[in-house]
Amino acid sequence: MGGLSRLVAVAANTFRETVRERVLYNLVFFAILMTLSGLLLGQLSIRQDEKVLKDIGLAAMDFFGTLIAIFIGVGLVSKEIERRSLYPLLAKPLSRGEFFLGKFAGLVFTLLVNIAVMTLGLYATLLATGRGADPGLLAAIYPIFLGLVLVVAFAMLFSTLTSSALASVLTVGVVLAGRFSDVVRNMREVLPAVPTWVVDGLSAVIPNFRNFDFKDRVTYGDPVPGDVLLWVTVYAAVYVTIVLGLGLASFRSRDFQ
Amino acid sequence: MAEPSPLLTRGLSKSYRVGHIRQSLHPALIDLDLEVRRGEILGYVGPNGSGKTTTLKLLTGLLKPDGGEAWVFGQPLESRAWRHRMGYLPEHPYLYDYLTPSEYLDYAGRLFSLPAPVRRKRARELLALVGLERSTRVPMRRFSKGMVQRVGLAQALINDPELLLLDEPMSGLDPLGRRLVRHLILDQRKAGKTVLFSTHILSDAETLCDRVAVLRAGRLVQVGALGEMLRPDVAHMEVLVEGPGSGLPEIEGEMRREAVGDRTRLEVDEKALARVIVAVDAAGGRVLSVQPVRQSLEEHFFQEMGGDDGGGNSWEG
Amino acid sequence: MTRPLAVLLLLLVPVVPWSQSKIDERAGIFRAQEEVLYLWSGEQVRNLFPGFEDLAADVYWLRTVQYFGGQRVYSRKKDFALLRPLVEITTTLDPRLEIAYRYGAVFLSELPPTGAGRPHEGIEILEKGTRAMPESWRLRQYLGFFYFLYLGDARRAAAVLEEAAELPGAAFWLRTLAADLLARGGDRAASRQMWQRMFDQSEEGILRENARVQLAILDSRDRADQITEAVQKFERRHGRRPHRLEELRRSGLWRGPLEDLNGVPFHYDASRGRVSISRESPLWRPEPPAAGG
Repeated sequence: MGGLSRLVAVAANTFRETVRERVLYNLVFFAILMTLSGLLLGQLSIRQDEKVLKDIGLAAMDFFGTLIAIFIGVGLVSKEIERRSLYPLLAKPLSRGEFFLGKFAGLVFTLLVNIAVMTLGLYATLLATGRGADPGLLAAIYPIFLGLVLVVAFAMLFSTLTSSALASVLTVGVVLAGRFSDVVRNMREVLPAVPTWVVDGLSAVIPNFRNFDFKDRVTYGDPVPGDVLLWVTVYAAVYVTIVLGLGLASFRSRDFQ
Repeated sequence: MAEPSPLLTRGLSKSYRVGHIRQSLHPALIDLDLEVRRGEILGYVGPNGSGKTTTLKLLTGLLKPDGGEAWVFGQPLESRAWRHRMGYLPEHPYLYDYLTPSEYLDYAGRLFSLPAPVRRKRARELLALVGLERSTRVPMRRFSKGMVQRVGLAQALINDPELLLLDEPMSGLDPLGRRLVRHLILDQRKAGKTVLFSTHILSDAETLCDRVAVLRAGRLVQVGALGEMLRPDVAHMEVLVEGPGSGLPEIEGEMRREAVGDRTRLEVDEKALARVIVAVDAAGGRVLSVQPVRQSLEEHFFQEMGGDDGGGNSWEG
Repeated sequence: MTRPLAVLLLLLVPVVPWSQSKIDERAGIFRAQEEVLYLWSGEQVRNLFPGFEDLAADVYWLRTVQYFGGQRVYSRKKDFALLRPLVEITTTLDPRLEIAYRYGAVFLSELPPTGAGRPHEGIEILEKGTRAMPESWRLRQYLGFFYFLYLGDARRAAAVLEEAAELPGAAFWLRTLAADLLARGGDRAASRQMWQRMFDQSEEGILRENARVQLAILDSRDRADQITEAVQKFERRHGRRPHRLEELRRSGLWRGPLEDLNGVPFHYDASRGRVSISRESPLWRPEPPAAGG
């Protein structure tokens, strides 16, 4: 399978690129945040401190992950086009599909490592401050990761269609809209004049990023049913495939002037 | 059956869309019929904007042709099999800031599915070949333009290609670098490889090429051996003189005189050379050098094309 | 796009809404319940957004509407526990957001499953509104309506409507309505007039829809009463009550429909000879406290 090994080569190089471009600096920040929160909350010793610590940890994973997914994701392909660094690569036996998917896989791997390290950091903080390592947190972290993968797919789609500045704006827009998708669904209650088809159309097109948010539930110690996680996985996988497929089609048909 | 030629194009065409609101088509390459012969060095020359880079991008799949066909080693352009036998250096390559040359060549080698030991060996050899053996572990963000160009050449050779497509390989290089690239290209030919390189600097083509293909405003205007294109006659000599200054009298057959510091450059008729040397000696000066001024490719073109410069094309360098 | 890729993508598109509905089915239920409000007082929130109170109010208003819609669609309990604090915070941040008072009051007062069924809280919200916007006759009118419609207090309602009538720009009918309430202690006609006014005053949307439902309830009750009269006529004529309402049709005593305005057949209590809106109907409500109905 030459194709797969080339894809892996691109992914590995993308991983190296993102790591060397200081993406994982946010881990340092996360470590400081966790340490400070752990120390401060231990001092204050409020009854809610364990929950707050988990809230901060999960929110930071979600937030930093989304920032990386958007801004690195947009630059992933567009930077290579703007700087023409992909020219010598595409002249080699590497196909455009292998390049595109390899880039995607590379950043997804970076995000995986990033979130794994942050998870370990959160658990370390919980243990170090005398609280239990609650395995239930993973039920919130896994969907966060799925959400990040979808963000990367959108960022890559937009970056093949337009300039990287506009692609960033569009991706941020989709992420925000997706996080407020409940507002969109209930839009008619605020703006009654909006026709139904607009609401239906918007809620069909905008990915529902609320699906990936189990932070509240998990920090209160409530279980997340396995079949919900399964359906969320199906949702993410299908959405990612569609968005990535569109991005791939657009990237394939492109001229590099 | 004879082996198919490394590169053959028939009617290859490409237009670009220009303008944002009212788009119009600007032809960049029109009906290119070109054959590159096995083992030759073909210079692909023309002013900036004449379609050289467009041709190479079409051949490497970075652009999709509007019309026409091309075959590499007898295989159609769409087939990917021939890509294992080809090497490409884009114009002004930008590689990756965060990689070292060794890492970059390793990456390039992986795309050809070369085994790891082969990749390491090739990378070491190639970096020595382009004179970067002492910078193999330096991130390329610290590289000068010329050093990046050298890495670009090395990556084009990673798979030991039978056909090399080089887009302006000399650009950004100092004289030493240019000589290095010249030797490299000649070595490739010696090894039986085929090289197509584009340049807008005619002297590069003049010194290297078996044949040149001349492109102008998207059209191929001439293909041929250099000897056929250039008139061999030497028109006059350039004499560089030190010393006499204004003491040098007007010499019969002198065409032009120019003071360069305390030196004087004379352009004289070939037959007047002996008289000039005598006169300089008599005036107490010294002859530093004598060079025949041949009609160059560049002048040839100016003559061919009457200096007409349609389509905003211009010669540089 | 290559054909296989296009076909694959097209085939996948319907999976998105399908998996979304599965997620909603399983996760939406608890999602609405687990809502937590960290800050319960508008003053706390106000201190967090110095200079951005209006923006914060908009955000909270969005959240209020979103919370309410989410509860109605997904929640099993539908107790709208956070509706009051959300409305409180919103109106503290932006005291002149009139829609928030009206919306909050209606859905706090309405009975489940439409609202929270806590009319006293609804009235407190409106009282807060009339304090914040003393010049708004509309809010005061609402307050009057609510005293009558949800608490059955015709005297109090009449007094508030009198006050509202004093305000500049107030509608002329407020006085006659107040007099009516005082004279007759309030009846279904008064209720109808109030809901009709609210229907006319509301923009297209959920408030107007709610008023429309209330009017449908009143009309259905009228119809039920008419059928009850027909039952009584039947009894006088035949010396017995009909076993089923269809007998009224055959006897020619009632030619109209036997369903409420939502098309749900009326409930007929043969032992008492009374016709009423079926409990199965979305128009069913417990009998109002005072207003004849």
